[in-house]
Amino acid sequence: MPAVEHEALDPHRHSPSTRASVHTVYHVTAMSEALKAHSKGISQMGQSTTSFRMADVPMAADRTAGWAFFREHGDVFESNGTYFLVSADAVQFAHRHPEIFTSGPAFESLGSPVPLVPLAIDPPDHLRFRKVLDPMLAPRVINTMEDELRAQVRELIQAFAGRGECDIVTDLARLYPTQVFLTLFGMPLADRDMFIGWVEALVEQSTAESGREPTAEVVETAMALFGYLQRFIERKRAEPGADLLSKILAVRGEDAWTDEQILGLCFLFTLAGLDTVTATIGFVMMHLAKNPEVRQRLVDDPAMVGPTIEEILRLELPAPYTPRVTSQEVEVAGVVIPAGSMVQLCLGTANRDPRRYERPNEIGAELGDRGHLSFGGGIHRCLGSHLARRELRLVVEEFHRVIPDYEIAPGVEPEIVWPSGTHHLISLPLRFTPAEVKA
Amino acid sequence: MRIVIDTERCTGHARCVVVAPSLFTDDERGYGCVIGDGTVTDETLQEARGAVNACPERAISIIEG
Repeated sequence: MPAVEHEALDPHRHSPSTRASVHTVYHVTAMSEALKAHSKGISQMGQSTTSFRMADVPMAADRTAGWAFFREHGDVFESNGTYFLVSADAVQFAHRHPEIFTSGPAFESLGSPVPLVPLAIDPPDHLRFRKVLDPMLAPRVINTMEDELRAQVRELIQAFAGRGECDIVTDLARLYPTQVFLTLFGMPLADRDMFIGWVEALVEQSTAESGREPTAEVVETAMALFGYLQRFIERKRAEPGADLLSKILAVRGEDAWTDEQILGLCFLFTLAGLDTVTATIGFVMMHLAKNPEVRQRLVDDPAMVGPTIEEILRLELPAPYTPRVTSQEVEVAGVVIPAGSMVQLCLGTANRDPRRYERPNEIGAELGDRGHLSFGGGIHRCLGSHLARRELRLVVEEFHRVIPDYEIAPGVEPEIVWPSGTHHLISLPLRFTPAEVKA
Repeated sequence: MRIVIDTERCTGHARCVVVAPSLFTDDERGYGCVIGDGTVTDETLQEARGAVNACPERAISIIEG
């Protein structure tokens, strides 16, 4: 048994590190630090400094109001040592300068037991990893999976189509991304519910009130997931297939990956690639339920599916802040940010910058794909973006083929969990005319 | 008119390939590439403008010549 497995499976030796990694993989660690600072409501003087409590931001019911609240404080502002880049230009500037806005220290300081490849890797090593990973998740690879992924979503929808009601989150959004992940990695679909159980336990920890110590159960859950992934890596090493993991294991020579790096990649994929797609399926279906005219247009014209999804993604993103640490002093939008500062790139506000978008708060699908930063930008652009977009398209196409007309259950106003570093709905109950389902 | 990608800015979102399939194709890494010399005709002008708008990195432009 390789050393890494002993380490990963020994909770006594590694529990503090695991605790940190549980936060890290949700992109929220730095955010939770900011949340802590804000909940104290520390006041600061000066044009670019401000203070507000995250809990006071009107985000839960309405992101338009929430992001407007952020924007009122300027294109770049500082609060208790964290700098928020709010405008599209400021965020894009940071994306184009990864040598100044570094990713490694934003995650590394937490002492994750495994390197979070490639998110927490800075240049020049970053490119080496991405050159291996990008082709494995390129659109042409996703194309080869499409029929299988379509059949899976169809089956999930058929399970509730005859009932006349469903909860999008529990019946579809929380199941499908995990199935897709298992398919991609060549893992058995039978492990789906076990996987979801692990991931949800960790998500709950990450969205809990900041500063709360993880329970022994959470640490145990992280260990169980690590152990599962490690055993799977060992199996692929012994019996390589045509899948993503086997290809990484096949890299030899100077570019060969260490066990820790491979485990870090799997851990990051599991925890950054599942709940984000779950959240986005919920958001897409919520906006389509609330806007029957937008929905009707894509039912009538399949060419509108893509632009409509892009517009909802622009408005409603699951990971709206990206943490970075400055490697040197830098001036952005007239604000001097010292070296070593924690910075949050606010993708949610950049996506609604009125200087970049006409009618920024509306679903403008008729305007085409307007470009947005919901998958981030620059060298760390979401590796899974092509897969996530395919999942969203397949959900929308297959759902509306069977259930073209529906509404949110009467009396329900879907809200996101707030305050939180990531955004997601807890529930989205829909009502519709029961569809005929083939037995 | 020609369409060009600033490869310094491109990070492989590949939206151009989806929005303007007459003008772009994707490479093995999933990055968008201009087909041929990128000449934009009256027929492909709308696609070209769509690609400029859709690029999250603002890496695509239409140039004279």
